[in-house]
Amino acid sequence: MNKAALRQSFNTGIIFGIVHIFCVLVAFNAMLGVLLAEIVHVTSSVTAPVVGSLIVYGILLGIWAGITSTRRQREASNGQRLLASLVTGASFGFLAALLVGIFQAMISLNINPRDYLTNLSFPFMRACLYSLPAFLGITANFFTFLVSSFLGGLMVVGWNLSAVASVRHHIVSAPKTWMANIRTGSAKKQRTWKYVFYALLFVVVAILPIEWGSYWNYVIGTVGLYVIMGLGLNIIVGLSGQLVLGYIAFFAIGAYTVALLNAPVPHNLAVGFWPSLILAVILAGLSGLLLGLPLMRLRGDYLAIVTLGFGEIIRILLNSDVLTSFSGGPRGVQGIEGPTLFGKPFNDVEYMYLIILAVLLGIYVYGRLQHSRTGRAWLAIREDETVARATGVNTVNYKLLALVIGAGFAGLAGGISAAMNQFIGPSDQSLMASINVLCEIIVGGMGNIPGTLLGAFALKGLPELLREVENYRMLAFGALLVAMMIIRPEGLIPSQRHTLELPEETTEPSSPENTNASDSNGSTEKPHD
Amino acid sequence: MVGEKHHSPTTFLVRKAVIATMTADIPLGLKKKGLQLLQLVRPLLGGIVGLFLVYRLYVVLIVEHPYGPDTWTRLLIAGIILGGVYSLIAIGYTLVYGILFMINFAHGDVMMIGAFSGYFIFEAFNALKVGLDGKSNFLNSQPIISIIIAFIVGMTVAALTGYFLEKIAYRPLRKAPRLVPLISAIGASIFLENAVELLFSPQLRNYTNPDILRRGAGWTLVINHSNVIIPYTGVFSFVLSAVLLVILYTIVRKTRLGRAMRAVALDKKTAALMGVDVDQTISQTFILSGALAGAAGVMYGIHNGLVYYYTGFIPGIKAFTAAVLGGIGNIPGAMLGGMFLGVIESMGPAALGIDFQLKDVLAFVILILVLIFKPSGLLGESLAEEKV
Amino acid sequence: MKKTMKVVFVLTVAALLFAGCAPAATATQAPAATTAAPAATAAAAATAAPEAVCKTDPFGCAVFGPGDTVKIGMGAPMTGGDASYGIDISQGATIAIADASDVKGWKFALDAEDDLGTAEGGAAVANKFVSDQSIVAVAGHIFSGATAAAVPIYVKAGIPMLSPSATNPALTNPGSTVFNRIAFTDTEQGTAAADYLFTKLNVKNLALIHDGSDYGKGLADIVAAQFTKDGGTVAVEQAITPGETDYTAVLSAVSSKKPDALFFGGYTAEGAIICNQMKQTGLDKAIFFGDDGTYGADFLTRTGANGEGAYASIAPASPDTAAKDAFNTAYQTQFGKAPGTLSPYTWAGYDAAAALASVVKTVAFVGSDGKLYVPRSAMVDGVRHLTNYVGLSGTFTCQSNGECNTAAPQFVVVKAGAWVPAAQQ
Repeated sequence: MNKAALRQSFNTGIIFGIVHIFCVLVAFNAMLGVLLAEIVHVTSSVTAPVVGSLIVYGILLGIWAGITSTRRQREASNGQRLLASLVTGASFGFLAALLVGIFQAMISLNINPRDYLTNLSFPFMRACLYSLPAFLGITANFFTFLVSSFLGGLMVVGWNLSAVASVRHHIVSAPKTWMANIRTGSAKKQRTWKYVFYALLFVVVAILPIEWGSYWNYVIGTVGLYVIMGLGLNIIVGLSGQLVLGYIAFFAIGAYTVALLNAPVPHNLAVGFWPSLILAVILAGLSGLLLGLPLMRLRGDYLAIVTLGFGEIIRILLNSDVLTSFSGGPRGVQGIEGPTLFGKPFNDVEYMYLIILAVLLGIYVYGRLQHSRTGRAWLAIREDETVARATGVNTVNYKLLALVIGAGFAGLAGGISAAMNQFIGPSDQSLMASINVLCEIIVGGMGNIPGTLLGAFALKGLPELLREVENYRMLAFGALLVAMMIIRPEGLIPSQRHTLELPEETTEPSSPENTNASDSNGSTEKPHD
Repeated sequence: MVGEKHHSPTTFLVRKAVIATMTADIPLGLKKKGLQLLQLVRPLLGGIVGLFLVYRLYVVLIVEHPYGPDTWTRLLIAGIILGGVYSLIAIGYTLVYGILFMINFAHGDVMMIGAFSGYFIFEAFNALKVGLDGKSNFLNSQPIISIIIAFIVGMTVAALTGYFLEKIAYRPLRKAPRLVPLISAIGASIFLENAVELLFSPQLRNYTNPDILRRGAGWTLVINHSNVIIPYTGVFSFVLSAVLLVILYTIVRKTRLGRAMRAVALDKKTAALMGVDVDQTISQTFILSGALAGAAGVMYGIHNGLVYYYTGFIPGIKAFTAAVLGGIGNIPGAMLGGMFLGVIESMGPAALGIDFQLKDVLAFVILILVLIFKPSGLLGESLAEEKV
Repeated sequence: MKKTMKVVFVLTVAALLFAGCAPAATATQAPAATTAAPAATAAAAATAAPEAVCKTDPFGCAVFGPGDTVKIGMGAPMTGGDASYGIDISQGATIAIADASDVKGWKFALDAEDDLGTAEGGAAVANKFVSDQSIVAVAGHIFSGATAAAVPIYVKAGIPMLSPSATNPALTNPGSTVFNRIAFTDTEQGTAAADYLFTKLNVKNLALIHDGSDYGKGLADIVAAQFTKDGGTVAVEQAITPGETDYTAVLSAVSSKKPDALFFGGYTAEGAIICNQMKQTGLDKAIFFGDDGTYGADFLTRTGANGEGAYASIAPASPDTAAKDAFNTAYQTQFGKAPGTLSPYTWAGYDAAAALASVVKTVAFVGSDGKLYVPRSAMVDGVRHLTNYVGLSGTFTCQSNGECNTAAPQFVVVKAGAWVPAAQQ
């Protein structure tokens, strides 16, 4: 086996080893152990993990390391690939053994690192040594990873054997042909499918809110509100290319409008939900206009920091003493009266319907704008503002329009949110909330509707599903963001652009075109106004 | 038009109305007047703001004068010290932006990691007992060495973090459009913060300074019958900031690395053609900016005393504001922006007679105003121009 | 685009459907008396529930079969900048639940969820809890903002709350039946502190600083008002931004007014910094007067010599110090830190959970079918009628508006690096 391959497998093992050390130090192995143990109805905890669960974790990680290492050696023979997995396992195991060796030393010398490395309690460290006496524990660790890495290698080699390959082919081909049939069916067939699909969707959307309980109504309702915000931000960032980082400010304006007009404190007004919602949208849009007017000359990143500043200004002002008599200060506004149906305030089902309606409205407006002349003007501005201006597009007006409409969306979401929660406070309007919406549209896929839907669900709905891994949620979120950007920067659902000017191609493009890639031709982006 | 679908009449009319409002042929005279009005916005805004500032300053300084010269001196000292720290972090942002045109959101967290490293070193030396009687610890018997080692370790760890950050999260995204590395940076920032929280618990850590650098102690000036203290830690921070800035300036101007950085910032492709190893230069830039952030972190810990996983967030945003204020991509601009922001934060609310809680509002408002009148920052941009 | 849209919709809906069929809660809900029960409670067929109580109870009973766990919920900020509070309080509560162990053979468990301390998070967690039948009470929420959003949801489901730390006075104003708290009432604390400053410490010129939170600001406002009523002068009231580490500017401005004392409304982190920076900003002669948020060992460690002579107010300590020592040791062993290092509410967290568990033990009964029944209205009443409950952080008697801690505060002062009782009024 040549040196390069050896070094590569060795490095793979080292990388996995470092990741493993990190996981142990943050007790991620114990957390996974808790989840694994739950499957077999055994209780484990992060502070005192069950040894078996840690072993299973180790085996799984080792198998992954083996698989990665073996797959890298594409050209080599099977024997050499297995050797690669062994080398990886050895270096990985060595690092793991080193770690538990240090643990053993600390236990023997009675040094408690808990004050600094908060997860390393003595029970935890002993569990990492598989509760075995010193030398046995260390070697057990080493062999866990060595053996499971080899297992991983075997799995890859086995997967690629010709016998297995033919079975694979058979399993995969059936659904593939089915999908292909749908795609290339006659137009009538496609339309029938479409109608069936929409009918099903309608039934589902109408019935589900009643059936699935108030918790899911709340969660999906929040997802819906984030969809509305995502659509709004997509208009500003995705369609017209202005990077705005303080988007939550418009949400806050909308929410506070509805709140202040409908709560006993501080103003004791009861204007009513619907008029105040409309006012909320208008005020948010207006603030978008007012924000945009002086900033039209600013380029990308400057606009970003200024809008970030604007978001922070709104938050601090809402929280401050000076405006307490106007906006309720740090206490926020409580007891917001929401919409009523025949005298009774909305319950969660009715809020869900309201949100669904708002989402549908948002999708409709967005869809129409996207394919209109306005939408094309925005695309032109996004691609190259100078050229757009040269071809007669009134860039200032269109950019302002994008800001106004986008802000209006946020105002709508804010107003509904204030009524739904019956409470609004300044700490909710933080920078992180703006960043969440931005991540949502970029992870989902900028500039298109299904992308926004998927992004909202992924970013808001998934954490609800993932409440089990509570403490590690944000850690996983951060890592996922980076991974998403590296693996699939165009988003989960890249947007397509109709290639109208190329009549030779089919009108419905068969492959998604990455519009985002079009402004990165490898040339250096020089800043100019 | 090719590809247009057929719509119902109502939709058609609505669309027509929207398009009409957007591109209506306004009579030329009105259009000109409209444009003229728009031109007036900026001078008008400038006038209003200027008048307001003058009025407030007059009210506070002449009419009310609530603070004596001793208070003003204290505020100024606090501002200068704060400005030094901001400058150091801001330069890190500017360096990276000049080369890659990306906002390194995780920079504040690199600073936090440097602060934590310094913390651990101080803790270790504090616990290390030396001396014949075993009573004194290393920290106080060899304070200068302790401090130097703390800084070296802090800067090294932060530099390494910066290096790996670039390698893992940014390098694969070199060719991607602007927003993608930004999101990756945000993800990296969240990851680093939470990793530190999970590793070291969310407890706020207290820096144990060596006795010669006790927090709160300093030289005393008597102004207006009251003691104004110039804190040792503050002077130390400021002097060290200045020294590091001079070193950085020298590196950028005089060394080969600096030339390479400026070349890559100016034009990546041509620099590559000229034989500059672009990848390595970028890595080295990140190492440099990380080292500066690490130093800022240790300084922050020594002067302010409290570090936890979220420490880097706010200084990060403020420093980024400072960098933009001074003109992003511009090293003297970052220095100026940092000092400016620090002094404004300290003295602004007092000078204008507004609540101290609103100092961030003041900072951002100033940023917005500066950018409205000078859209490329106080000193303009570009790392590569002769100005540097 | 159309196709991908379709596929995505299908996938999303399928995922939602799948997720909607979440695993059923371990406990079931006995049928409630009225049909106004929220949609969450699936109308279980009227199985033989011999207990007539459950039928007349407007919120029904929580029913636990053999092997089920009785859960107590908690909404706290577990991630983000305020995570130290949530983590600390939930850890204290975990020990309480372990100590309470079980009710008539059914084990207790704590379900602590992350609400980020915000209204949105609070409502999400509240909605999650009301749809889980095995949750009989909530020790929380921790931050007032999250609590405010959560209360109406719990009211509708009849789940009692006992918060260790939500101090916003307005929370008990709406007069809800379910919200109670053992946190200090700001009004009591503030008034007593102002009086103490004026009469006992002879402070005539008072400066106030608060951290802008509803806790700190609320307290400072009350102190200022009472102090003026007593006859003193408020020199200046300033707000700081929490989370920063350099307050010399604010302190310099305050010191120019030459106050006799500085009242601080807020938590240990900022309080310690202010105390530390007072000397270098000309306030070396002023007395630092904190609140129960600045009390604790943490304050002493952070301020060191600078903390000498600093005051704080605390709830009158419970007489049972043996229990407190036991808790301190247990906390240190299990979590590696002394209680009070992450937040001042560790003991209150223990008390809230322990008090709720004790109410469950009183209220729950085993039905004739061998299942455990916990009538919800009885729970709500039971918590509201807590009388002379001796906890680690004080003795609590809940009043009709839900305030359980209306005892007058005690004042303590730092002498020789430790907290000692100050001369009382």
